[in-house]
Amino acid sequence: MLTVGALTHRELAARLAGPGLFLRTGPFTNCIRSNISYLVDGVAQMYGQYAIDESGFADFHVQFRQPGGWRRWFRPQVRFDHDGLTPFEPLPVDQAFPMLEWMLNYCVSSRAHGYLIIHAAVVEKNGHAVILPAPPGSGKSTLCAALVSRGWRLLSDELTLIGLDDQQLTPLPRPVSLKNASIPIMQAYAPSASFTRSATDTAKGTVAHMRAPDVSVERAAEPARAAWVVFPRYQADAPVTIDPITPARAFMRVAENAFNFSLTGERGFHALGQVMDGCTSFDFTYSKLDEAIALFDNLRVAPR
Amino acid sequence: MTPGQQLAHRGWQDEFVVYNNLSGDTHLIDGDTLALLTQLRLAPATVGSLTQALGAGLPPDDLAALPDTLDAMLDSLQHLYLVEPC
Repeated sequence: MLTVGALTHRELAARLAGPGLFLRTGPFTNCIRSNISYLVDGVAQMYGQYAIDESGFADFHVQFRQPGGWRRWFRPQVRFDHDGLTPFEPLPVDQAFPMLEWMLNYCVSSRAHGYLIIHAAVVEKNGHAVILPAPPGSGKSTLCAALVSRGWRLLSDELTLIGLDDQQLTPLPRPVSLKNASIPIMQAYAPSASFTRSATDTAKGTVAHMRAPDVSVERAAEPARAAWVVFPRYQADAPVTIDPITPARAFMRVAENAFNFSLTGERGFHALGQVMDGCTSFDFTYSKLDEAIALFDNLRVAPR
Repeated sequence: MTPGQQLAHRGWQDEFVVYNNLSGDTHLIDGDTLALLTQLRLAPATVGSLTQALGAGLPPDDLAALPDTLDAMLDSLQHLYLVEPC
């Protein structure tokens, strides 16, 4: 199996600038094309352990390029093309790697309707997965990054993929997105992990990505079953608290965080219902990562 | 019941989620509301006949208040496009 890391930097840049890098992430193959050095560097740093699909087929075709004109000399930008369309405004060129991550999320959330897709992190340990749906600013990605740096398997930090027929959670391990204060926190908490350079002044503030643990990427073909749905909320100086949520109320809150709940219709409704049948749900407030992880490590699966 | 409504639902304890296949919306309802919807799925009904069907075993005071309660519940369900007047 050819991996990104087996290519020299020059070979990687040539693929990206030429026919495209056919990058395998979870169940998807992405054909990525770009000649932007920020993006080449980010892919080399964050995706070294990922397989290159050599079949020639890709689920998503994305291209990141610098528009021409005088502007490129003063305020260079990156433009995103997806299947020949340009759905978003260009961004400053030093945001090319975050843009790649956001656009890969966009491709999945707007196209992969064979799954019920929840805006949620999902991690697994001992065969039992925790779904962490939460709005931006809740500390979801920070908590996710901390958990995977302490032995939990990363399935995804952004997109929980629920099989419509089997309700299994399909892994889509990719770099964990960190914002603002969570960047130095995680750099201190997981000093052996690899982080991209920080991109400042993005729509989300300062953004950096943490490389997914190798073991999570190696196990990307192993689905998991959800055992808990946890709605995390970071609150400065707060003690760890958990407040149970009834399954029906948790169902509604998870559905609110779904990208395609209406689109999947009754199949999505029943798939989520069956997930909730097997889950215990609660609100979770924390301020200290060690306390949060200790609680997660002591979660017990409810008898069914 | 609005024609074509399938009333797909799932429940845990006394809380239920119901999928409106006509609007694509999902609603959180209690057991009493599900009982009302289930009764209406059998056939269109008046508040009087619903009171008879659903009020069995209620204490007299609760039974007397049931028509007003049903009116309010039906009004709410109509706003959710789950039921409609006929």
